Amino acid sequence: MVGIVIVSHSKKVAEGIKDLAMQMVGPEQKIICAGGMEDGGIGTDAVRICDAIQSADSGQGVVVLVDLGSAVISSNLALELLQENGIDTQVTLADAPILEGAISAAVQAFIGGSMKEVVEAAELAREVLKLL
Amino acid sequence: MKEAIFTIGNALGIHARPAAEIAKIASQFESSITLYGNERKANAKSLLMIMSLGVTNGQEFVVSAEGKDEDEAIDALSLLISNNFYED
Repeated sequence: MVGIVIVSHSKKVAEGIKDLAMQMVGPEQKIICAGGMEDGGIGTDAVRICDAIQSADSGQGVVVLVDLGSAVISSNLALELLQENGIDTQVTLADAPILEGAISAAVQAFIGGSMKEVVEAAELAREVLKLL
Repeated sequence: MKEAIFTIGNALGIHARPAAEIAKIASQFESSITLYGNERKANAKSLLMIMSLGVTNGQEFVVSAEGKDEDEAIDALSLLISNNFYED
């Protein structure tokens, strides 16, 4: 199963999104939070993201959902850290709204979707309208 | 091709959790499965597309499957939908 990492500036946001997504999938789906800083403060931390990616990987790759601004910078830095440490986990950052994207990606991963399918499911969240 | 028509019976209609259940079951089949409701259509294997139908309680809902396991797909989804997604 493809793993999911939730990167948010806020620990609570990342955990809340995980809680919601876990409602839709089985407990075996890996969704790992990288929310806030080590001390619980607001921010994003490349080392924490790097650790989360490794925890989320079960061999089929990891899709990372990010919130705003430096979440992207820290996530890209985390990918560099993985490379430097010789870890060849397949990782893709999805360009999607974090909540809707994470839920869509989690369901797609849980039903056995490939990396490409999980990223597409996350990014579909950009196009789906909420108000009909 | 095989089709089944339902009237959505659970109070909240096809909100997030029922949509996830549909996608999970639909994905177990090879057949192409399309849902029709609220004058829209959606791929039954996509959570977000199912939610975007916005099908509510009392609305008609059509499941259409095409492929070699279409009978089994319709049966599995019928069980879920006719049991009101096990919600009420």
